[in-house]
Formats: sequence, C-alpha cells, structure tokens
Amino acid sequence: MTLTSLLPLIALALPIIGGLAALGAGRRNRRLGIAVVAGTAVTTFLITALLALAAKDGLLREMTLVQIAPPVWIVFRIDPLGTLFAATVSGLFLLALIYAFGYLPDDRRQWRFHAFAMACQGCMIGVAFAGNLVTLLVFYELFSLLSYPLITHDRTRVAVAAGLKYLVYIITGGAFVWAGIILVFHLGGEIRFLPGGLADINGSPGLVLATFACLVTGFGVKAALMPLHGWVPDAHPAAPAPFSAVLSGVMVATGVFGILRVMFEIFGVSRLIEMGVLPWLGGIAGASVLLAAARAVGEDDLKRRLAWSTISQMAYVLMAVSTIGGQAVTGAFVHITHHAFLKGGLFFCAGLVATVTGATRISQLRGLAQRMPVTSLALTVLALGLVGIPPLSGFISKWLLGLGLADAGAMVRLGVMLAGALLAAVYLWPIIYRIWLPTDDPRFAHSHSREASGWMLGILIATGMLAVILGTAATLPGFPLDLAKNAAQWLVEPPP
Amino acid sequence: MSAAAHGLALVVLVPIVGGALIPALFRRFPTAAWGFALASSALTLAISISLIRRLLAEGPFSYAAGGWPPPYGVALHFDRFGAAIAVFSMITLLVLIFSRRYIPAVVPIARIPLYYALVMINLGGMNGFLVTGDLFNLFVFMEVFSVSAYALVAMARGPQAGLAAIKYLLLGAVSSLLVLFAIGLIFAQTGTLNMADAAGRLDAAASIVPTALALGALTIGFMVKAALFPLHVWLPDAHASAPAPVSALLSAVVVKAGVIGIIRTLQTFSDHGSLQLMPLQSLLIWLGAIAVLWGAVAALVQSDLKRLLAYSTVTNIGYIFIGLGIGSATAASGAAVHIINHAVIKAALFLAAGALIHQSGLRHIDDLRGLGERMPLSALALGVALLAVAGVPPTAGFVGKWQIGLGALETGRPLLMGVVIVGGLLVLTYGVRIINTLFFRPPLHVRVVTSREAPPSMLAAILLLAASSFLLGLAGKPMLDFVAPAILPLTDTG
Amino acid sequence: MPIELHDLRPVLAPLISALCAGGVFVMGTSGRWRAIWSLAAAGLKFVIVWSMLPGTLAGSVYIFRVGEILPGLSIAFRVDAFGLFYALVTATLWVLTTVYALAYMKGSHALKRFFGFFALCISTTVAIAFAENLFTLFLFYELLTVCTYPLVIHDQDAEARRAGRKYLAYTLCGGAVILAGMLLVFHSAGTLSLAEGGILGDVDDHRVLLLIFLTLVGGFGVKAAIMPLHAWLPAAMVAPTPVSALLHAVAVVKAGAFGVVRVLYDVFGVNLLKSLGFATWLGYLAGFTIIAGSIMALRQNRLKARLAWSTISQLSYILLAASLLTPAAALAAIIHLANQAFTKITMFFVAGAIEHNTGKTHIDQLDGIGYRMPWTMAAFTIAGLSFMGVPLLAGFITKWYLSLGALAADSGGFVALMALSGLLNAAYWLPIIYRAYFRETGIPQLREETPWMLLAPIGICAGYVILLGTGAQAPLMPFSLAESAVRLAFGLEGGIP
Repeated sequence: MTLTSLLPLIALALPIIGGLAALGAGRRNRRLGIAVVAGTAVTTFLITALLALAAKDGLLREMTLVQIAPPVWIVFRIDPLGTLFAATVSGLFLLALIYAFGYLPDDRRQWRFHAFAMACQGCMIGVAFAGNLVTLLVFYELFSLLSYPLITHDRTRVAVAAGLKYLVYIITGGAFVWAGIILVFHLGGEIRFLPGGLADINGSPGLVLATFACLVTGFGVKAALMPLHGWVPDAHPAAPAPFSAVLSGVMVATGVFGILRVMFEIFGVSRLIEMGVLPWLGGIAGASVLLAAARAVGEDDLKRRLAWSTISQMAYVLMAVSTIGGQAVTGAFVHITHHAFLKGGLFFCAGLVATVTGATRISQLRGLAQRMPVTSLALTVLALGLVGIPPLSGFISKWLLGLGLADAGAMVRLGVMLAGALLAAVYLWPIIYRIWLPTDDPRFAHSHSREASGWMLGILIATGMLAVILGTAATLPGFPLDLAKNAAQWLVEPPP
Repeated sequence: MSAAAHGLALVVLVPIVGGALIPALFRRFPTAAWGFALASSALTLAISISLIRRLLAEGPFSYAAGGWPPPYGVALHFDRFGAAIAVFSMITLLVLIFSRRYIPAVVPIARIPLYYALVMINLGGMNGFLVTGDLFNLFVFMEVFSVSAYALVAMARGPQAGLAAIKYLLLGAVSSLLVLFAIGLIFAQTGTLNMADAAGRLDAAASIVPTALALGALTIGFMVKAALFPLHVWLPDAHASAPAPVSALLSAVVVKAGVIGIIRTLQTFSDHGSLQLMPLQSLLIWLGAIAVLWGAVAALVQSDLKRLLAYSTVTNIGYIFIGLGIGSATAASGAAVHIINHAVIKAALFLAAGALIHQSGLRHIDDLRGLGERMPLSALALGVALLAVAGVPPTAGFVGKWQIGLGALETGRPLLMGVVIVGGLLVLTYGVRIINTLFFRPPLHVRVVTSREAPPSMLAAILLLAASSFLLGLAGKPMLDFVAPAILPLTDTG
Repeated sequence: MPIELHDLRPVLAPLISALCAGGVFVMGTSGRWRAIWSLAAAGLKFVIVWSMLPGTLAGSVYIFRVGEILPGLSIAFRVDAFGLFYALVTATLWVLTTVYALAYMKGSHALKRFFGFFALCISTTVAIAFAENLFTLFLFYELLTVCTYPLVIHDQDAEARRAGRKYLAYTLCGGAVILAGMLLVFHSAGTLSLAEGGILGDVDDHRVLLLIFLTLVGGFGVKAAIMPLHAWLPAAMVAPTPVSALLHAVAVVKAGAFGVVRVLYDVFGVNLLKSLGFATWLGYLAGFTIIAGSIMALRQNRLKARLAWSTISQLSYILLAASLLTPAAALAAIIHLANQAFTKITMFFVAGAIEHNTGKTHIDQLDGIGYRMPWTMAAFTIAGLSFMGVPLLAGFITKWYLSLGALAADSGGFVALMALSGLLNAAYWLPIIYRAYFRETGIPQLREETPWMLLAPIGICAGYVILLGTGAQAPLMPFSLAESAVRLAFGLEGGIP
C-alpha cells in the first residue's frame, strides 16, 4: 500500500477531520478556525487536482480498505472519471466554504455549518473515489444525510419543510439504489466497477431491466431527473446560499455520476444497447430539459429559478450520455464541471444580493447594478455563461454537447438541447436585463454603492473569472476538457 | 425365622400396634406421644427399605402369615407396587415431624395422643393394603385406613370439619360396601380370596355377568376412594377442613390407595378371556380427562388456599387415570411414577401451605400477600412445589405428564395430549397466582407483617419434601425402570 | 464432520452464573457484595464463553452430558457454532447490561431480588444457547420465563402486574405448545437431539409434520414476538430499562428467535423444509410482522413503546431470513441476532439514560436533548442509522445478506420489503434524531451528560454497531463463526454462495 494509493483516503478524510478541528478551534478563535478551514479546503483541492492530472497520465490504483462482509469490501480507486469529479467537488467546496465565512452570521452555529459541510465534502469525495457500488452507496447515503442539517441550517419553517421533503426523496432514492445493488450482486456476482461493465449478468431480461431501473431511479432522485425532482426547487432556496451552490453545482451531479458509473462500469455499453433502455433514458432526460426550463421561465424567485435551471442543465448531461458517443460523453463531463462553477457562482450572487438588499425575487432586482456594480457584473457574466455565450465556459460545454449529439446522429436530442438553450436564454435574460435597467425608485436612485464584504465579493469575482478562463483557455492540457476527454475515453472505449 | 424374614408382616404390624399403644401409653404425657410415633414410623421406614432391597435382589416375594401357604392362608405379597410403602412411610414420617409444632395449635391437648395413634394406624392400614395378596384382607386394611382417615378429618376444630368428616364417611362407607359386595361375588365365582389365584380362576367362571358386576363394583368403590371425577365430591371439603398434616396425608397417601386398588383390579381381571377391559379403560380416560380440566378450573376460582390444593389433587388423580386408561407401557409407567411423585409434591404443598397458614393465621390467598417476605423458605418451598405440580420440567410433576402425553400420541390420541398440556397450563396459572401473591404483592393484612418463619421442625419437613419434588424429576428414568416390570400385566390389555 | 470433544465448559458457563446468582441471593443485602456477585456472574461467564471460541472456529464441538432424566430425555450441552455465536452475543452484552443496571437501579427497592434473578437469566440464556437437545432447550427456555418474571414486575404496581400477567400468559402458553410439539417430535422421531440436517427425515406423515411445525414454531414464536403472538412485548415495557434491554435485545426475544432457527435447521433440516414448503408461510407472516410492527412503531409517542414495536419488527427479520432456507439468508438470520441485539440495546440504554437523567419518556419531550446529552444521542443516532440500513453499520449487513438470500430463493419481493422496511425505519427513527438536534426549544440547553457508568455501556454498544457493520474480520465478533454455523446447517463445504 503506497502513499499514492492512500491519497484518495486522505482526500476523503482530510475535510472530515478538518471540519471537526475547525469546529473545535473556531469556537474559541475565529481566525484559527478560518485558517483551518481554508487550509484543509485548499489542501484537499490540491490533492484531488493532482490526482486528476496523474490519472490522466495513466495513474490507476485500487486500494482495498476493509471488508464489511465477505463479498463486500470498501474499495477506493483512482481513475480518470472519479478524479475529475473529485477535483470539481473540492474546487467548488473550496469556494463555498470561504464564501460562507462572509455569508453566515458570525456565531457558534457557523462552525457547525462548516463542520457539516466539510464532512459532506469528504463523503462526496468518497463517492468519487468509490471503487465499487457498496462503497459508493456508503458515502452517497452519508452525504445525503449530512446535507440535511445544512439545508435546514436557517431553521425557518420553510427550511424545515424543505428538509423533510429532501429527506423523504433522498432516503427513498437510497432504498432504490440499495435494492439495485443487491440485485446487481445477485445477478452478476460482483459489485466492483469494471471497465466495460460486469462480465456477465445472468437473469431474466425483466430482472436485469428491473435492476437498471432501480439504480437509475435511485440515483435519478439525486440527479433530479423528472419526475423525481420534487425536492430540488424547495431545498435549493431553503438552504443557505453557499450550500445551495454546492447542492446545485455538485450534489445533483453526484446522482448523474452514479448513473454514469452504473451505465458504463456495471452494465456496459453493449448490454445497454441490447437492453434498449437508452432511448428511454434519452427521452426522459429530454423531457426534463424542456419541462424544467419551462418552469424556470415562469418562476419569479431567483433561487428557485436557478434550481429549475439546474434540473434542466443536468438533464443535458444525461441526454448526452444516453447517446453513448465518445464526443457526447466528453461534453457531458465538461458540462458537469463547468456547470458546477457557473451555477455555484450564480447562487453565490443570489445569496449576496439577498443578504445585502433583501431581494429574493427577480422582479425586485431592478437597478441592482447601480448599487452593487461588481456583483451585478459577476452575475451577468455567469448568467451569460450559463446561456452559452462564447467565449465563456458554458459555451464550451454546450458546444461539445451539441457536437457530440450531432456526431451520434441524435438529431431530435440535438433539437431538444437547442430548445433548452433557448429557454435558458429566456429565463436568464430577464435577470440581466433587470439588473442593468436603471430604476427610478427613489429609495434606490440616490443610494450609494453598497457592495458586500471582502470574502463574498472575492469569491464572486473568482467564479466570474473562472467562467472566462475555463471558456477561453478550455483546450489547455490539465483543464477540465482535457481530463474529460480522457475520462470519456476510459468509459466509452475502456482499456483492455 | 429372623426379623428380616418377617419384615413383610412387621411393616404392617409395627405401625398398627405402635399406633394402638399410643393412647394407652401416653394419656398422661401427650407431648411425648410424638417421639414414640416418630420412632415407630422410622422403624417402619427402615423395614420397608430392607424389603425393597430384598425385592431388588430376589424379585417379588410372598409371606405366608402363620405359615399357611396360599391359597389357604392369609398371604402377604410384595411386588414393585408395594414398594410405594417406603415412600408412604417416608411421607408419614415427615408429616409427623411437621406435626410436632402444628398439632398442639389445632387439636386439644388431650386428643394429641389420639391423633398420633390414628396417623400410625392409617400408615399401617396403607401398608397392609399395599402388601396384601388377599381380597378380604384388602378390604380389612382399606377399612383400617379409611376409618382412621375419617377420624383424622374430624380432628380439626369447628363445625366444618365435622360435616366434612361425615360426608367423607358416608361416601367412604358406600364405597366400602361396594368393594365388599364385589369381593363376595368373586369368592362366589372362584371360591378363593387370594388375588393371584382368583385371577386365574375367573376365566373359568360359568357366567360373565357376576364377574362384570364384580369388576364394576370394585371400580366404582375404588374410584370413590381415589376421588376420581365425578366421585370426588367428598374430597375438597375433607382435605380443606382437616388439619394441614392430615390433608397432606390424605391427599398424598390415602387417595393413592384407591388408585392402587384400581390397578390391582385391572391386573386381576386382565387375564380374563371374554371380558374386555377396553371400554372400562376408555371410561377411565374420559373421566380422567374431565377430572384434569374440572379440577384445574375449579381450583382456579378458589380463594381458600387449602381448598385450591384439594382441587389440585382431583386434577392429578385425573392424570393418573388417563395414564392407566391408555394402558401403554409408556403411559402406565408414567401414571405409576406419578402416584409417587404426586404424593411427594402434594405433601410438600399441604405442609408448606399449613406452615404459612399456621404462622400467619390466614388462609385466604388474597390475605397472604407479601408473606414471602416474612417466611421466605416456606414460601419458596410452596413455590417450588407449585411449579412441580404444574409439571414444569425438570420437576417431579413433569415425568408423569411427559410419559402420559407420549402414551397418548403412541395410541393415536393427540387430543388427549392436548388435555394433558392444557391441564398443566391451568395448574400453572393458579400456581403463578399464588407465587405472585406471596412474593410480588405488598402485604394487605396486618398479621402478615407480624408473621415469622416457621419453626425448624416444620421447615425441615417442608424443605425436604420440596427439594424431593424437584429432584425426583431428575430421577425419572430409574423410577420408570423400576416400575416397568410391575406395569407389564396392565399393558397387555391396552 | 466436526470433532466432538467432551469438555466441562459448556455446563460450567451456565452453572457458574447460577452460583453467582446464589451469591446475590444470600449476600445481596449489601450493595457492594451485590455488585461483586453480579459482575462475577457476567464476567466469569464472559471469559468461559469466549474461551471456547478458538476451538469452535477450528471445528471442534464441545459436549457435556449431564444425564438422562427420562428415557430419551437427557440434559446435555453441546457448543456448536450457532450456539456459541448466540452465547457470545449474550455474554458480551450481559457484562455491559450488568454495569448499566448497577448504575441505573441504584436506590430502587428489592435490589437483591432484582440482581439475583438478573444473574439467573444470564445462566439460563447461555444454557439455551448450548442446549444439545430440544428438551434441554425447552427446560431453560421455561426457566428463563420464570426468571424474567420478577424482573418484569419489579415496580410491583398495578400496571407492572398487568404486564407481568400478560407476559406470563403468552410465554407459558407458548411453552405448553412447545411441550406438545416436543412430544410429537419425540414420538415420531424417537429423539430430541438437535442435529444438523434435522431429525425428522424419516417421518412421512405430512399432517404430523405440519403439526410439529405449527407447535414448535408457534411456541418459540411467542417469545420471538411474531404477529399475532406479540402483544406481551409492548406491555412488558413497564419494566425498568435494563430489563427492557434484557427482554428486547438479549435474552428473551432472542431465545425465541434462536429456538425458531434451531427448529427450522436442526429439527426439520433445510432439505425437508424445502420439500414441505411450510417455511414460506412463516416467511409471509414474518414479512407482515416486519411491516405492521414498523407501522405500529410509527404511531407511538413513548420512546420505549416505539422501541418495543421496532423490536417486534426487527425480530421478524431473523424469522424471515431463517425461513428463506438459503445459505445467505441463514447467515443474515444468525448475524442479525447480534446486529439487532447490539443496536437495540444501545437504544434502550439511551432511552433509560434519558429517563434517568431528565425524566423524559416521550418523544415529543425530546426537543434539543442532543445538546444536553451529546454523546448519548450520538450513540442513539448511530443505532438509528443502523436500523435504517445505512452501510458501514450493522443493519446494512443483515439487509444485504437477507436480500441476497431472498433473491437466491426466488423471492425477490422480499427485497422490496427490505427496502420498504428501511424506509419505515427511517420514518420512525429520524424524527427522534431530528427533535434531538434540530428542534428549537427556546430555552438554552445545559450540558447534562449521562453518568459514566451508564454512558460506557452505551458507547461500547454503539461502537459494536459500527464494528459489526465494518468488521467482517474484526476479532471481537467473529463473522466466520456465523459462516461455519451456516455451513453446518446446509452441509456446505466451501464458502457461502
């Protein structure tokens, strides 16, 4: 067991331990606590990023940690897909954790937030590095449960109700995943993720289909695949902004990540085609794209609109994956990463606006630019990025997605995607438009610029710049596109 | 001949003569009667043990009184059923030990020698009943222990005891008459009074009707003595109102004479070619089953502790008769062992109950609440004996129930097994009720709080009996092995 | 075939506890001696039971024959893998429960009686585990009833007595039914020895077999609280908490479940049962109990009542698993003996600690309790998550094997049942956790942690829940023992498919 193969475990444990340490330290000395949080988050990000780069260069490791029952082991592995996701997770968490220092009131509960959030981060990294279904389930369940105190952090009645809804959905989803795993083991005799899928899955077609359905349903809850999305529009607005960012940016993606693992490394491409489930998956995802976007258009609450948008955007990914084309899958991975930072940034903005002005509705945003120019700028860049305006990061991923869909000859899905992009413009443009529209409201007309404190603004600027950099310099080696290509190749054309 | 050779006669003579001497010798010193009675019963016990040793060495043996060989003389015969005399002597001995402190409290001092005399005569009658090989002597000894039993019941103070004694006397007299009538019939048929002899000759009798009549009369007569349902009506009154040691003797020993009488009857008639015993045995099973349930249910609703125990005897007699009725080797040997085991258990029950009642002066179950705190050993003994009478394994009560239940299955009567088990469950129900009352409820009555543990003489008897009623369960196998040869003649009919 | 060794330890383990119980009865008026004897009873048995583990794992079977009390009925002890597994669970938990009880019961009345019978229960439970034949099993099973009764009615008020009556009525009737079954077995098979592969192989009469199945499973099912024979269990909640823990987690209910498993595997045998098909019905009944018990648990507001109903539900996991007759499911049945025990006892200890500390007994009083007693509630949370089937905790292992076993038995429906049950468990455990941590009380919660004598057992049990969920190779709860028990029951040579 070399140090390298221990790295996933370290990346997983570091935030959890750091969170507890911060909880202890921060309550006595705020500065020390901040230092612990920032240090841990940065270190974690560096480790995961390094692992992602190393995995691209062909570093593959598997580490068996502990046997929980004879066929069931806790296994971690380093592979292109997992490391890319881990890096995305720790990157977004880094931003969110620091943002939270500004966003949350400075009291004891703030440290509780950080402790839970970092534990959550550790578990999500665990999902990314999981080497088999049970390990994945372990961390998947854990972070799902750990998210609950974060969603209900505000302790308002709305937050508690949203938390309950979240729990019901997630636990039910977990039960489906669990049943699916059992079925996989029963039929295939194996629960490890294997490139190209398990060697054989013996069972009646109906049972195999049921297995797939269980797993996709279970992970689909997290991935907000319609009609399993019910918790998303409630939980996102209820959670504190830094956690909404994480929810939208990476947690929903975790569901997609699970579906990817199941599709490519449990069932395998050829079996999926044989089973004939791909068109269905594509159809459901397509429907999600359009319906969620349509709902977003009609939504006035900013965070809710963003939540609906997340549902729509994540459905792109699944829609692209359902073609199984290498290009489309690359696009899907890039989109996961790019979307994470864009959407995370948007939530950061929304949180900032809400804290400073109290405005949570889009109709209240009029004239924002006059008071909060920097925030408005960041908001605009990020929104444009999400719409897919070149040269921002959102353009790259949409372009790749579109290309991939065209490549796979899925013209209907391409059309859906374009319609979705159009709808995205429809629901995001009014935000930009209102922000920059001068207001004649006397209350706002003469007020001075009231930007927020340094922490939050810095993060906003960082995300805005990320959108630009990831867009303009997307093709540089070591950037998400590069890693995603590698991961897509790993999945679609697995090494022998 | 040496004393050992005359043992069979001595085992009858010692208690009867000893008992007869007591009133004469101890009129002036009533309290000393206890020692004499104790000594003579201990002697009886010693003789009976020596008899058993001889039995084990030589097999069943006979003794011709006065040197006349059977079928002409009065023959005494000792077989494996007869071995019960050792147990009965033992119980009598313990009852006597218990009586030392108990009896002066319930019997006027002048009548104490009489009490001891009657107990000894009763023992002699029992022993004689068990070892006689002769029908007429059977009747005589039956009368000896019956009459002494009536008198013992009447010993207690109060009008109830007198009434109960009269009820017992009336029914007992009728049953005695029936037995006498049957003996006359058999003599008329066979011309002999020796049981072994009569058994052989009955087959040759010209008419079957008198034989059947004799069988019926004997059965009914002994059923009364054994208090088998529905002829048990005398039992609850008599056993409840008599002094506790007397109740112990009656329930443990005297009713068993009736059972053994039935066994002897069945053995006598079992060789008979044309007379089928099957219907009779079926009847016994039915009556036994009803007795089990009736006795248990009746006991459940009693509030008087001793009356409850009396009904428990009805139940257990029912068990024994089920076993005898089934008649298979398993069931019959179980019934035979249950005769002994129940004797021990019931003696323990009545003596323990007597101690509790004596020390507290209370006899209603509800009044006894919390007495376990004050009299832990007596109450514990009662508890153990109650579990034993319910047949909780591995106590003595379990042996019989297991064997009888198994016998019911062997002969294809699963429902009967159900009766056996349900009966046990019902018994356990009131057992638990009493245990609960004694140990787990706060005292209700002021006299409970001031009660003290029974004196050592009582405790010794109680604890020894309670321990035996537990330990005999562990000795089930040797006991069954012991009675097996004796049971064989019975099982042929089944 | 295992090697049979004659050894004194199988009888010594129960005997030594019984002797210590005697010590309590004799010298128990003094608090110090009471504690010493109680701990000795638990501790010595613990040592003896664990000392047999290496030998059993190596394939030996320890035997001690006491004697034959009736023809064919002998008292004999035999330590096989399954029995030892159960004994290990009880022996381990008993040490903890005794420590907990010593602290919890301080100042109560009739402590001599309480601890005397408590120690006797230890003795009988391990005797049940080691019983070589049905008769010995039954004997100590009945004795267990008798010994637990004074514990149930310890409070001696009207409610306790009513509960005690109910308890006795159910268990004694169950015992009587077992007796009937035992008679039938003895009559038709000629022996009562528990043997791998069963002893009823030569019996042809289908009706007799059905009757035996009904009586034995029904009889043991009373203590295993399978519906509709469960009503005593919620009523018995009036007992002091260590007793509830004892009843619900360790001794009584497990003795029932243990008995059912013994009957299924060692009286009938897997092959016979498969051909008869009775077990399927038991499976359905157990499945119904799992769901119905959970639904009832959902409706309870008293914490201990909720725990009781949950026990009913959880016990049927064992019965369901045993009735599926596949190796994986059998493994689930055996392992769940330990999993449920440790998890549920954690919860009972916590419930007791809360009541002891704050006097709160109802769930709607628990708002913010997580801040008052953080470590205690952390243990509760672990236990709750385990019941929900969260991986890395004990409950997951059960569900894993049970579902695999169900699939192997072509009863995939039970997988859905497992999932549903997991959801119901979430529905009744999470609200408690929610109240403990997330509910505003308006008043500041002072830290008021449980005294260490109560907290230590809680912590150790919760630790075990994690250990059972992660440590297939953990030295302190040998998974391989359960495996070898299954191998014996199914006559398998290699691993468990």
